[in-house]
Parts: sequence; structure tokens; C-alpha cells
Amino acid sequence: MTSLDPAPNKTWELSLYELQRKPQEVITDSTEIAVSPRSLHSELMCPICLDMLKKTMTTKECLHRFCSDCIVTALRSGNKECPTCRKKLVSKRSLRADPNFDLLISKIYPSREEYEAIQEKVMAKFNQTQSQQALVNSINEGIKLQSQNRPQRFRTKGGGGGGNGNGAPTSGSVAAPPAPGAPAAVARNASNQMHVHDTASNDSNSNTNSIDRENRDPGHSGTSAASAITSASNAAPSSSANSGASTSATRMQVDDASNPPSMRSTPSPVPSNSSSSKPKRAMSVLTSERSEESESDSQMDCRTEGDSNIDTEGEGNGELGINDEIELVFKPHPTEMSADNQLIRALKENCVRYIKTTANATVDHLSKYLAMRLTLDLGADLPEACRLLNFCIYVAPQPQQLVILNGNQTLHQVNDKFWKVNKPMEMYYSWKKT
Amino acid sequence: MAQNISPEQSGGAGGGGSKHSDDSLPVKDNHAVSKRLHKELMNLMMANEKGISAFPDGENIFKWVGTLAGPRNTVYSGQTYRLSLDFPNSYPYAAPVVKFLTPCFHPNVDLQGAICLDILKDKWSALYDVRTILLSIQSLLGEPNNESPLNAQAAMMWNDQKEYKKYLDAFYEKHKDT
Repeated sequence: MTSLDPAPNKTWELSLYELQRKPQEVITDSTEIAVSPRSLHSELMCPICLDMLKKTMTTKECLHRFCSDCIVTALRSGNKECPTCRKKLVSKRSLRADPNFDLLISKIYPSREEYEAIQEKVMAKFNQTQSQQALVNSINEGIKLQSQNRPQRFRTKGGGGGGNGNGAPTSGSVAAPPAPGAPAAVARNASNQMHVHDTASNDSNSNTNSIDRENRDPGHSGTSAASAITSASNAAPSSSANSGASTSATRMQVDDASNPPSMRSTPSPVPSNSSSSKPKRAMSVLTSERSEESESDSQMDCRTEGDSNIDTEGEGNGELGINDEIELVFKPHPTEMSADNQLIRALKENCVRYIKTTANATVDHLSKYLAMRLTLDLGADLPEACRLLNFCIYVAPQPQQLVILNGNQTLHQVNDKFWKVNKPMEMYYSWKKT
Repeated sequence: MAQNISPEQSGGAGGGGSKHSDDSLPVKDNHAVSKRLHKELMNLMMANEKGISAFPDGENIFKWVGTLAGPRNTVYSGQTYRLSLDFPNSYPYAAPVVKFLTPCFHPNVDLQGAICLDILKDKWSALYDVRTILLSIQSLLGEPNNESPLNAQAAMMWNDQKEYKKYLDAFYEKHKDT
């Protein structure tokens, strides 16, 4: 701990490593080097405040870096030595500003405010999840809500969809009931839903809902239960709370199986939808990372929700639509994918899918997701011929009338053009044999 | 020599102030302190260090309870100790007050649980954190500084480890309920 005494004549004793080491070669070509965020962070971090360095100061002799504020305070309040290695630091003059390092940081993190805001958010969430009180609260809240809502479970499904915009963005995963005319497959299929967008939907739920209680701590064990209830009661008079509850139960199962719930962004079983023209956002939501936007902007959801009922088509509302969510019921094509189809046989009752995703995802995104998901689900059962399949996706504006969809339309556009009704959009898929 | 210097132990709220000039900005400071403590907590949870653990005691982030396992191959092996950590508003520029909650018979720990350890006093550095403090105390258990004992009896007995262990077992038997 106490390091070498300061040599009076300032000669340096080189360590064995220092004697052996060769200088790093300068990279002049276009070689790129990947650095993990963690190791990067430890390089750019001030060891005193554990934050990113701000106005970097470097000790002149031992070359340790600190925030200006941190090291000045440390020198003023404690020993006159380097906090890292205990080398004597007589005064502020033993330090020098390190603007190059600041520049480096600002290059790597151009918008520091944003970075810090994210940090704060993560921290706040972490605290909520770590506080025992919060845990107890949320469990209690969940239990309370559950018992409040239990009687509603057996209510019958009513008509249209309450004051809930177009229903899609706010209600829980697939709370809304199937349309009266829809094939019965929908109802019994709560168990097969795939849940594209889990964590963020919890948040937007509790924000936009009238039931905006304390149970908004995300990543909480209690929350999913609570949000299931919110979604149920949200759709309450019009929909069977029953389906809402069972859906969320399966959601948890799904999570357990494929992506263990964690308080941070949950890596999803849906990786790469590579190649797409506007990939970043759509993808991040598709892959169910907890995107900051979808939380902070859930207020916006209310607005865009309204918008989507008005006939707004085309790119104009692209910006607004980003945080919009849409629910889909995804069924095999009635004729092309009939019961004796190879794929359908392999899928059995898994052939109907429930998806909740962002409205700016395109039909192409969807078919890629579907291919990926089916491959994952079926594994060895998947008939060899069906691997990496190309899906055709259809929508049925009227029963018996299937319209094949062009790959680059967003779901929002499809919804506006063909569906318009306040219930999960029903789509059909079939696969092209290759 | 013997006493544990306690840095001003100001309560959680904006009070601040005493011998350190940096306490003149208590509100902003407090935020920075709790931020750092939160980060430490997060790192600690991630690291999942063996033999030590720590967690805020209730809602106050400035008070933690830590546990550490007696180091192996010492007379303390197999024991578990609980400690309290009280962080001043000037943390990390001043050391937290660390005390044993579990009675600990050790040359550098008095019967009230106060610990005599240089890094908690004049050798404190802002780089120390909960993890390193607990690790230091853990290694102190196995390697006491008998030159400056808080518990003279323990210091005297230390040389005869067999006898020491025997006494220790009797000691824990006696304090089992506390």
C-alpha cells in the first residue's frame, strides 16, 4: 500500500515489466479495434466519484487521473498524496490539466448529458429494485390489484373498445379479446403468444393507465403481475380480463425460458434483423431492449394513439409513430397453410402468434422475426425444407379477402390502410417453398 | 493511538459542516455522495465477492451493514461478522465509521466493536470503498497489529494460537445470543 519513498533525485526505477515492454505499434491503416464498454469505462472513470472524468487532471509524477473537482477536494481534505498510489502531491501544482483526455472522452461520448441521464436512470431503477421497501410495496400492490380484479375474470366480452384509443399501444400484451367474428383459435392461444416487447410495455402500461400507482418500478418481480392486472382492468369492461391474466402468466413463462428477466435490458431471443434502412430504433425495440424512449415518451403514446385513428398515412407521422406500439394476431394462411401443411403440422397449436411490437417495424422485419422465432421454437422439429424461409404476409381487411403485403410498409401504415379497427390487427402468413 | 478517530458523523440531512471545508456545499455534496454509494452498491452486487457482502441498512443509503467471513486458516475461520458502516457527508474524502456489530475478540477491536485500522484513519484514501474496507478488515483479523492493541488481553494471548482459539470458542459460546 504505502509505495516507494519519493526518491530525492527523481530517478525512475523501472519495473521488470517496464524494462521488457515494447512500445505499442501505431495503427495507420483502417484497422478497427473493439473495446468492451466495461474496460473503456474503467479507463475513463474517475476513481473518486466513479463517474466519467470531468475536467481531467493528471498527477504529474505518477500520471493518475481524476476529475478536477474530485482531486482538489481530496487534496484539501486529506493527505497530500495521490489517492491512487500515495505518491506525495505537494499541492495543486503537482497536477496538470489533461485537455487531450477530455477531448478523447468527448469524442467517444459526444453527448455526455445524454450518457449521464441514462446513467442516472439506470441508477434510479437499480435503487428501486434494490430497496427492500420497494419490493415489499410492489408485491403488496400486486396482490391487492390481483384480488381487486379477480371477480372481473369471468365477465363476458363486450363490444367495442372503450376510451382506449386504438387499443393497441396501451393495453398489456394481448389483453384485448378476439373479435367476435374471428376464428376461435385466437382465444385458446394465450399460451403460444410470443412476446416481442416485454419490459418496456410494462412501463408504458402503468404510465398511460388510469391505474397509475406506485407499482411503476420496472424490473420488479411484482411488476409483471401488477401490469398484467393493469392491462386486464384497462380493457376491463370491453374485454375478458381472463385473457389478460393468462397472457401475462405465459409471458413470464416465455421470459423464463428464453430471456431470464433482469433489471437491465433483456437480451432477447430475437437477434439480428440485419439489413434494413432504418434499423436502429425499430430494431432496438423489436429486440425488446428497454429503450429509454419508449418509457419517457409514453405520454406521447396517448397522442399518437389518437392520431392513428385519424387517417394519417405515409411518412409524415413516422416520427410520432416511433414509440407507438401495435398488437398483431398472426395466423397461418387459411388456404395455403392448411392443416396438412408440413410446417403447420410441426407447429401444431403454436401456429398462431401474438406479437406486440412498434408500429414503425416493417413487414420485412416481421417476416424475419417470424422465421427466426419459428426456427428457435421448433429446433429439430423444423422440417429441413422450411429453414430460413421466406414468408408472405397478408392482411384481411374483410374476411375471406387476403391482401398480400409489400415488405417495406410499416405496420403503422398497414394498420391505417387496411385495418383501422380498434383491436389487434390480424395478419396471415404463408411460406414460399424454395 | 488506541482510539478510533471518528470523522464527524453528521446525519443524513443537509447539516454538513465541521472541520472539512468541502462540507460547505452540503446539498450538492450529498447528492454526489449518495451517487457514489449507489455506484458502489451496484458494483458490489455485480462483483459478488466471496466472503464479504454489504447492503444499505433500510432506506438510508448512508448507513450500511456489511458481513464478512473469518479468513480461512486463521482462528477466525468459520465465523461470520456483521459490521456497521456509517458514511459521513464528506465521503469518500473522509472514511466511514466502521464498527463490529457481532462481538469480536481481536487485538485491534475493542469490546464496543470499534476498529483500529490505519486506512480508516490517517491512511484513508478516497479510493477506498466498501469492498476494500471489508477486505482490509478481513485480512486484519488474520494479521493483527499487536503493537497498538485496543484489546490488550487479545494481543497478549495472540502468540499462543491454540490457547487463543480455545478462548475464542468460549468467547463465542458466551456471546452466542448477541
